[in-house]
Amino acid sequence: VDRGNFKTCEQNAFCKRQRATQLGNSPWEILLDSLNSTINSLQVQVISSRSQARLQLQLIALADSTLHLQLDEINPIKLRYRAQDSLSGSPQLSSLKILEQSSETISLSFGDTGKAILLVKPFRLDVYDGDQLVISVNARGLLNFEHQRVRKSKLWEAMSSVAQTVGSVGSSLPGKAYSWVLQWLPWSSEAATTDGTPVSVQGEEKEEGEVNNTEEKSLEEEEEPGLWEETFKSHVDSKPYGPTSVGVDISFPGSKHVYGIPEHADTFALKQTKNGDPYRLYNTDVFEYELYNPMALYGAVPFMIAKRQQGAVGVFWNNAAETYVDIEESSSGSVVSSLMNLVSGGGNEPHQQTHWFSESGIIDLYIMTGPTPKDVVRQYGTLTGTTPLPQRFALGYHQCRWNYNDQEDVHNVDKGFDLHDIPYDVMYFTWDPVKFPDPLEMAQNLTAKGRKLVTIVDPHMKRDASYFFHEHCEQNDFYVKDKSGKIYEGWCWPGSASYPDFFNPAVRDYWASRFALDKYEGTSLDVYTWNDMNEPSVFNGPEVTMPKDCLHYGGYEHRDVHNMYGMMVVESTIRGQLMRSNYKLRPFVLSRSFFAGSQRFGAIWTGDNIADWEHLAIAVPMLLSLSVSGIPFCGADVGGFFNNPDSELYQAGAFQPFFRGHAHLHTKRREPWLFDEQTNKLIKSSIKKRYTYLPLWYTLFHEHEKTATPPMRPLWMEYPQDVETFSIDNQFLLGDAILVHPVIRSGETEVSVYFPGDNTLWYEIENYQVYQGPGYQTIPVSINKIPIFQRGGTIVPKKERARRASSLMAKDPYTFIVTLDKQGRAQGRLYVDDGQSLDYQKGSYIIMELSMDNYVLSSKITNEGAFETQESVEKIVIVGLSRPPSSIEDNTGRAVEYRYDTNSQVLVLRKPNFSVSKEWSVSLKM
Amino acid sequence: TQLTRPRGVSLARASLYSPDADFTCLDGSATFPFRYVNDDYCDCQDGSDEPGTSACPNGSFYCRNLGHEAMIVPSSRVNDGICDCCDAADEYQSGANCVNTCKELGSAAQEEAQRKYELESQGYAIKLEYINKGRQAKLSQQERNMALKAEQVEAEALRAEKEREKHEAEEPEKQALDKYRQIEQEAMKEKEEIERSKQETEASKAFDWLDSNQDGKLQVEELQTHVAFDQNQDGTVTVEEAKFFLHNEEEMDKSDFIATGWPLIKPFIMKAQGLENPSKSDQQAGEIPLSDDHHQEESMPETEGEEEEEEEHEEEGETVKPSPVTPSSVEYDAETQELIEAANKARNAYDEADRRLRDLEREIRQLEESNSKDYGPNEEYQPMDGQCYEYSDREYTYKLCPFDSGSQRPKHGGSETRLGSWDSWDGPAANKYSAMKYDKGVQCWNGPQRSLKVHLSCGMENQLLSVSEPNRCEYEMKFTTPAACSEPKKPDEGDSEIHDEL
Repeated sequence: VDRGNFKTCEQNAFCKRQRATQLGNSPWEILLDSLNSTINSLQVQVISSRSQARLQLQLIALADSTLHLQLDEINPIKLRYRAQDSLSGSPQLSSLKILEQSSETISLSFGDTGKAILLVKPFRLDVYDGDQLVISVNARGLLNFEHQRVRKSKLWEAMSSVAQTVGSVGSSLPGKAYSWVLQWLPWSSEAATTDGTPVSVQGEEKEEGEVNNTEEKSLEEEEEPGLWEETFKSHVDSKPYGPTSVGVDISFPGSKHVYGIPEHADTFALKQTKNGDPYRLYNTDVFEYELYNPMALYGAVPFMIAKRQQGAVGVFWNNAAETYVDIEESSSGSVVSSLMNLVSGGGNEPHQQTHWFSESGIIDLYIMTGPTPKDVVRQYGTLTGTTPLPQRFALGYHQCRWNYNDQEDVHNVDKGFDLHDIPYDVMYFTWDPVKFPDPLEMAQNLTAKGRKLVTIVDPHMKRDASYFFHEHCEQNDFYVKDKSGKIYEGWCWPGSASYPDFFNPAVRDYWASRFALDKYEGTSLDVYTWNDMNEPSVFNGPEVTMPKDCLHYGGYEHRDVHNMYGMMVVESTIRGQLMRSNYKLRPFVLSRSFFAGSQRFGAIWTGDNIADWEHLAIAVPMLLSLSVSGIPFCGADVGGFFNNPDSELYQAGAFQPFFRGHAHLHTKRREPWLFDEQTNKLIKSSIKKRYTYLPLWYTLFHEHEKTATPPMRPLWMEYPQDVETFSIDNQFLLGDAILVHPVIRSGETEVSVYFPGDNTLWYEIENYQVYQGPGYQTIPVSINKIPIFQRGGTIVPKKERARRASSLMAKDPYTFIVTLDKQGRAQGRLYVDDGQSLDYQKGSYIIMELSMDNYVLSSKITNEGAFETQESVEKIVIVGLSRPPSSIEDNTGRAVEYRYDTNSQVLVLRKPNFSVSKEWSVSLKM
Repeated sequence: TQLTRPRGVSLARASLYSPDADFTCLDGSATFPFRYVNDDYCDCQDGSDEPGTSACPNGSFYCRNLGHEAMIVPSSRVNDGICDCCDAADEYQSGANCVNTCKELGSAAQEEAQRKYELESQGYAIKLEYINKGRQAKLSQQERNMALKAEQVEAEALRAEKEREKHEAEEPEKQALDKYRQIEQEAMKEKEEIERSKQETEASKAFDWLDSNQDGKLQVEELQTHVAFDQNQDGTVTVEEAKFFLHNEEEMDKSDFIATGWPLIKPFIMKAQGLENPSKSDQQAGEIPLSDDHHQEESMPETEGEEEEEEEHEEEGETVKPSPVTPSSVEYDAETQELIEAANKARNAYDEADRRLRDLEREIRQLEESNSKDYGPNEEYQPMDGQCYEYSDREYTYKLCPFDSGSQRPKHGGSETRLGSWDSWDGPAANKYSAMKYDKGVQCWNGPQRSLKVHLSCGMENQLLSVSEPNRCEYEMKFTTPAACSEPKKPDEGDSEIHDEL
């Protein structure tokens, strides 16, 4: 990356100002007189003893142990932006009760068990889990809410223009030159200062209303650099509304680690930021991003989970403006930690302290009190939504390249996959009427084999009068405007381009309507969409994106909405796909940019990574971070986007939620069969393995939609009390059953795998060799094998007949892998539906709960909905029986054939042929 | 012969599937009742128990495709809803609506084979012409080569003769000129002698003039009286300054003075008299060298002059040829003049013979180079050498000049870029002449050197069909030529059976 293209905190005025906020001396107090409450909420004013500025504080109790805190200006000059689109509808309310009120504290309860205390002076909010203080807001006194103000000197503007015309020497010595001008102007004499600084020339012009009284900055601060204008490289941000940033500290007593706030190419457990830049959230098109640093990438989810041994809490900072998060571990004995101890009564254990600040908007904080990690992700999912079950094809292998030369090229690649018997589900390409003269026919050739196509649709519109879309946007005033109100023009792939304003509902409707099959030429219901470059990427813009003073629908500045632009593009595309199928088929959109809530719309990938081992290694922490932050359908380009991969890089990708092979234009062709024989075989077997596990993936994604638990999980999500797992980010779980430890170094011959769980058995999936947790064990690996284990006590559904495409496996029979725990028990689940339609939302699906206990394996169908299928069970593998049964019989008394292998203790039931739409059981006579 | 063999088994393998006995996996890994064969459950590691179902991940399915060609597909294609076999045998249970298209495909294939046969026939006829042309070209090249070789022998002999004649003519010329050279040298010696005695006289006179006390020796004091020796021009001649001219001795006798003293002193005397050239005196005025050596090198005009003359002589010595140039100052007698002219004539004759031989050698080399190019097993590609073929797409016009190079140039102006130069035949081992490699093209910006692979196929004419760039800077061309046509074979009729290996 060319770091010079992106701002550091030092180069970013509001970051500097917020970071400079003084610790431990908060001027903000609650005005008890102003207290109001309802059955769900309380409202009270907060005042700064320094400036007398007033803020409105609102606490709202939400369903599922969530507390919502809002802080906004009272009577603002301009309404601040509220990022409502991140939420999945209006949150459901719960009850809030004031339990006790004194001149110093207000104790309250929320929801069923929530407990919180508002401290009056200085203002602070403490949230408890039982008796344990788990979150404290403004404990360090970093609340800094830059109220809006009228720029004191319109005068100043007049003067500076005079100064520029009069003082020709002004450019080299602005202070001196202006001083001369100021003294020369008759009305400025009283204000001129000895050092000649022009900023001190402030008229007595009054601001309107309350804001005037709340003036807390000194006159010098009023014109400190970066308040009313900021320059980065050659880009000037005009900042017509002046400083509007908001920030506050959030401490997590008892929490050793914090996670989340993607997207950063960094470790999963977030690092201390005191000695460098804070983690930055500002969606940008970063070319060849660097690893292990807090620079912003393509997407932003301002959500964080704090993990302590006994539990977990989450915070969601719902703000779409540029945001930073500082992370600092408290050290015992410091001012702040002693402050904390006063209230918590807890020990002196170091804990995580965070400081959040955004350039504009309000403080809109959702506090999720857990207490388990799964509770926290569910609570966050309740607020911002979960990923709807994708079509089955979307979980298969996606084949992509920038770019396939022409129709014949695509045809040959497709043929190559068939020739080498390698499954794939989706082919990506870009329309080009010359190179793809007959897209429908091409699509037909691919989709006839059950495959899908994805075309790229970016939000930058070529400014070309012959382009109907551009013309339509011009005529209907659909484009984002520059600061002067003219249509903004940036530079992107097509050259001069403008950007539809996706915050305008009419634009979104129009965009969605263009996906109709009769409007989007050459498409069919088998053609889906990739929204790239939607940060938005602007090649000639500041930090490769849109200037912050551009204007959006409703008069909001781009600065207010920036991080949400990409999500709004995808929302519109998704709706277009839903509309074109008359809400029959599930949509699929892949996006590079994202925000909190993007999970409701589709998949994301981690952008333009590099084909090397370091990028392979970072994929796991990056995808874990996304997964716990509500975005489970994510993947890193397999093989790596830039440069040419080693052969081994493909294997780990097969166990990512989103599995796509992709390559940059300038890389060597890398269709699997272009590698040597061994590598070709390896890639083929990796992809086929993925296909055999599709029933598990599909079941996990359905589970995610219902519970918000991500399919790809950090170990601590299943083993929340095992401190050892807290910093592990080189292995992960699929659901609660499969443990994956990707090999991330070239030529590795062994890896150290951590097996979690007391007395827990882990079976290697290839040979059922067993390991016992908890603890590390050295596992030999080779180029042909990556260490994957199934936990004893689980039942995993598979389909072992990998076909050309997942849709062709729809009727194939299942295999269940039953790995027993030490008590001889196991549990699992299978979810089945038609794999593509939205009928499942009306109940047309099957959930089969499987359990084995006391030598009986039985299935139970738990939903009442009806889904007809002929799918059956062809094989059941039971691992961990120390001796063979004497016979096996199903619930109808029919004998079931089986084989038992004494060495591996594997029992295979041959052709039980149970239907998956009926309940059944099978008994092992021992 | 319609044997009752299990579904998906080829005729060739039918005997391995006997319903009357237990079945043993073809890899020998297990044996079980025959009813396990094709029971839609995979029992063999090699997949051999399920030739007719999709149960085994690594199995294969044979379809006979009566009326067309038999085919083997992976088991994963069986009953997956897609018609792979033209006889629809692979979709016996999926409900896919497959129709038997083998007849149509078979006749289409036959038509195609017929078309191909005709193409090959016509193309091959042209190829035969090419072969003829190529062989003739080769032959005439060989003939020409032989002729040239013969000429070469002649030319070598001629050159040897002319060389001899040249030597013969140069010998008397040299002797005649040597005589003149002796006369010149003697005159030179005489002149030098006169010059030397003139110098000695001058030195002697100067000595006498400087030896003011007439004791036959020059002393420091005597020199100190002459302002000419005030080297630093501070108005006094110091002892050091004076001793410098006496080689740091107190005194110097006359013979030393004549030999070494005077050359040192003379320039100072001359300078004092204003006779030296101005630039030199400027230099000396600025800084007077203190070391003897330095002084001698830098400021002794005569010494310097001598050196220059020597250098000039050396240079002449290098460039001057043994004789022909007649020094303009010398008048030769008629006899000598005649000898010189005869020698010049002999030299010219030799040069001509030499040039002719070299030309011949060059031509032979070129012929041999072309001869060493591999124009195919029967020289059929030879007629393409020296030709160029073009193809244009939206942006570029591509040019292929077989056995030379490939290039592209933008259609809307811009210079030509070389994609590669002829390197070698590059087809697979079994069919080496099906592709050509051109490499070492122009380097890509920030990338590798361009290269080009040309795939040849049978066609009625030489034609560049398409150009692509499947990898960055690696180009591929498709080219048809009669030269690539093989001897046509009458297409077979009727169905065929794939005879798979066991």
